[in-house]
Amino acid sequence: MPSALPAESSENTVNPHALLPFLETQSQNTLTRLYQRPSSCLSIFRLLAPLERQIIMNLLWLESAILVSTMAAWVIREGRKQYEEAIATLGRLHILPSSSGKLALNSTFKSAFRQAITGGGTSGSFGVPAPPDDKRQPVDLESLDSFALERWETILHYMVSSGSGQLPTKPSQGVLFLLQRSGLMANHGSVLQITSAGFQFLLHTPHDQLWDLLLQYLHLAEERQMDLVEVLGFIFMLSTMELGREYSTENLSGTQKAMLEDLRDYGLIWQRRPSSRRFSPTRLATTLTSSSPPLPTSTGTSSGPQEGFIILETNYRVYAYTDNALQTAVLNLFVSLKYRFPNLVVGSITRDSVKKALMNGISADQIISYLMTHAHPQMRKNNPLLPVTVQDQIRLWELERNRLKSQEGYLYTAFASQADYDFVLNYAKELGVVIWENAAKRCFFGSMDGHASIKGFIERRTLGAGS
Amino acid sequence: MRAIRGVLLTCDPAVKQILLMMNEKESFIIEDLDDHHLVIKAEHEYRIRKELETELEKNTYSLES
Repeated sequence: MPSALPAESSENTVNPHALLPFLETQSQNTLTRLYQRPSSCLSIFRLLAPLERQIIMNLLWLESAILVSTMAAWVIREGRKQYEEAIATLGRLHILPSSSGKLALNSTFKSAFRQAITGGGTSGSFGVPAPPDDKRQPVDLESLDSFALERWETILHYMVSSGSGQLPTKPSQGVLFLLQRSGLMANHGSVLQITSAGFQFLLHTPHDQLWDLLLQYLHLAEERQMDLVEVLGFIFMLSTMELGREYSTENLSGTQKAMLEDLRDYGLIWQRRPSSRRFSPTRLATTLTSSSPPLPTSTGTSSGPQEGFIILETNYRVYAYTDNALQTAVLNLFVSLKYRFPNLVVGSITRDSVKKALMNGISADQIISYLMTHAHPQMRKNNPLLPVTVQDQIRLWELERNRLKSQEGYLYTAFASQADYDFVLNYAKELGVVIWENAAKRCFFGSMDGHASIKGFIERRTLGAGS
Repeated sequence: MRAIRGVLLTCDPAVKQILLMMNEKESFIIEDLDDHHLVIKAEHEYRIRKELETELEKNTYSLES
């Protein structure tokens, strides 16, 4: 029962899944429509924290509502906070509507989720498998994996090498638009360049990156007036599909058919031809709501080592044991690369290379955290992980760029008397617009937005004094 | 009482000295407030930022070049 914190809680991170806050902002109506689909219920269930899952399971097979006090009696004092948070989260998702004194699952959610577990129903919520094709062999897992990997790395690679003069393969227009809209890349003149947010994005795991992009896609879908329930429902449907199986597009709605193209660009689904009436989800799609890795790692073609691969020495030298073009390109953002071997890239962190990165909007902290997350297992023996000299120097280089701070505004000076000065200064302070003041010189500097009020204040005062 | 429009620069004393030097060539400072603060004409800000950068660059030593 909820009282015992399940030991498996460590398997999930403490942070709630990125999608949940988005779902919480949706209206009850939208969510209830979403909960009509068994596949959506199952997917959302899998995104929840262990305790929330447990509460749902406890309530799922109850026919009548249960008293809040009965449920609360199971909770020990230490677990009370987590329990209440879990109940609140479920309430915001409208899975567990908060009614007076009783707890019961949302009836739509309950029946759809029961269906998902017991495998009943013919609604086709989990996708309709296409009948086997006599003429063609279904696509094998290996080519699905390499397709997904190729698409995904094209996107990342494009982000990384933007502005470096190289011309990597461009992802489709839709992807470019999404990258730009999400602020991961920005227009510099005529070319797209990676932003600070974009670099932060590269530091995440593929799973988080995927959800980041899909969240942006959902926001975009809202603006395009696409039906969010259809969009979400389709993503969830994909996440519950079976890898290596072909599904029919016949049962999809218009919105979902339109999504096929976008999702193909992200590498989530594979189709033989754009007009094909069948599609196969890739590993990226089927692992959306599970904890298995979204990208195949054993294929070894180009995905690079999953563990850390960077060794950083106190003399600013960087040795990166990788053959992955993407990882090399990321390093190239802030390291000046010297030599390249089949499995090793050598370079050094210099003032110029860091300055270039800083100019692209990458912060010193981001560089350091990238080096930390990807540090070679050998480096893990060191304490601290990265040489302090290098860390400090990178931060100093960043500070060097900000030796001059500027703020636009007005300098108020030549006050007639000390009383005058104090009076105006106090008013300006109440507005919170004073940036600098000096009582001896009887002057102060106020920011731009405070000027109109201060001017009005002084005018009112002079008028008042004159009459 | 007077209100003068301008840009308040916050910097360290060393940078301030460089700015004072630059001011002798082409005047842009409205008011020298204290060791860390200057008020300058807004339209000159971009130019002096550029010039300051080249000036500071002279004092750095690079392994590469």
